[in-house]
Amino acid sequence: MANVKKTAPRLRKLSVYLYIPNIIGYVRVLLNCIAFYLCFSDKRVFSVLYFISFVCDAIDGWCARKFNQVSTFGAVLDMVTDRISTACLLVILSQVYRPGLVFVSLLALDIGSHWLQMYSTFLTGKTNHKDVKDSTNWLFKAYYGNRMFMGYCCVACEVLYLILFLIAGKQSESLVDVVASTVRQGSPLSFLVALSLFGWAIKQTINVIQVTCTSYDGNVSLS
Amino acid sequence: MAKSSKKLTPRLRKLSVYLYIPNIIGYARVLLNCYAFGICFSNKWLFSVLYFISFVCDAIDGWCARKFNQVSTFGAVLDMVTDRISTASLLAILSQVYRPGLVFVSLLALDIGSHWLQMYSTFLTGKTSHKDVKDSTNWLFKAYYGNRIFMGYCCVACEVLYLILFLIVDTQSESLVDVVGSSLQQGSLLSILVALSLFGWAIKQVVNVIQMKTAADVCVHYDIEKKQKP
Repeated sequence: MANVKKTAPRLRKLSVYLYIPNIIGYVRVLLNCIAFYLCFSDKRVFSVLYFISFVCDAIDGWCARKFNQVSTFGAVLDMVTDRISTACLLVILSQVYRPGLVFVSLLALDIGSHWLQMYSTFLTGKTNHKDVKDSTNWLFKAYYGNRMFMGYCCVACEVLYLILFLIAGKQSESLVDVVASTVRQGSPLSFLVALSLFGWAIKQTINVIQVTCTSYDGNVSLS
Repeated sequence: MAKSSKKLTPRLRKLSVYLYIPNIIGYARVLLNCYAFGICFSNKWLFSVLYFISFVCDAIDGWCARKFNQVSTFGAVLDMVTDRISTASLLAILSQVYRPGLVFVSLLALDIGSHWLQMYSTFLTGKTSHKDVKDSTNWLFKAYYGNRIFMGYCCVACEVLYLILFLIVDTQSESLVDVVGSSLQQGSLLSILVALSLFGWAIKQVVNVIQMKTAADVCVHYDIEKKQKP
């Protein structure tokens, strides 16, 4: 332990920046930059890269715990990358669909709810916004209490947005038309869209609860 | 004062914070923004006026909070979230009407990223506001945050630039470079306004980038300090 004290502060700082999960974080940022650069010219490559970045999101958390390299910087890098990549995808969707304001509203809800969530976490002294043991809202507890269900809802959102981008039609810009015709097809795609819509709806409801029920002391309650 | 507030139930005390004057101004801001973005394509000028009024209210509610002694955490959060969302929405709209749209998507990413990291680092170091950066070693930082008027100019310049860009959208050219170039070449009052705004906007974006690096350092430092304390 004595040699830790001998290590210069700059080297210690550098070592956190070089943690394996944080390097995965930088790779995620690069993947997203490349993906969005070619999102209009090559939709499929974009979707693949975006999805790989999403998978890395889960991997770097696992790596952090496995290699004992959990860091605040890593958690923030993760959160910021998530928020920005979802925001950018929603902006792209607002360009290709009408009414574009639907996606601008979803963007507003995503940013607002996660921002409030983070404030709430800090104000109540928790370390992770996913630890909501003392929240009084039943849907909140159900959502955050079951990690598989929570994971399904999060994945459903990203999958829905990616599908919407991939099937953006040359025929119709109307969001309602495109979604309705896809669901009516009765194909595996219809099934995937329906499943994603369900998980997406739950996640947005949770986001709304976060925004409307976070009180000034940071706790989420129904009152 | 003490006796009457002890008699108030928790629910009434909570309600009174939600009814603080600056927070009511905050709700008005949210409504103004919702309405403004609802009509942004059908009535550009009205949109710009409402957006700008909301921006002015941003300054007013801070002043009210201090004047009426009604500063609240809720109010500060409401303010910050409204700012971020309205700027993000305007950048989203701009990315629709200009090419390359990705310029505005990148600015959106920088805005969210820098403010997010900033807020995190503020909490970790126990400061009350991200504008209190007395011990930062970066000279541009100190110059920026040390001079409130200069800081105000840069923030206003950003919003004014984005609004102008939205108002002067040319039906003939979607190209951002063309539209900005031609507006500067006109030699009119608009040219001066665009040039002034561009300058303040550029400074703010540079500060945003530096902010991200500084805030990341704070996060790393926080972990190191935590490990050293037994």
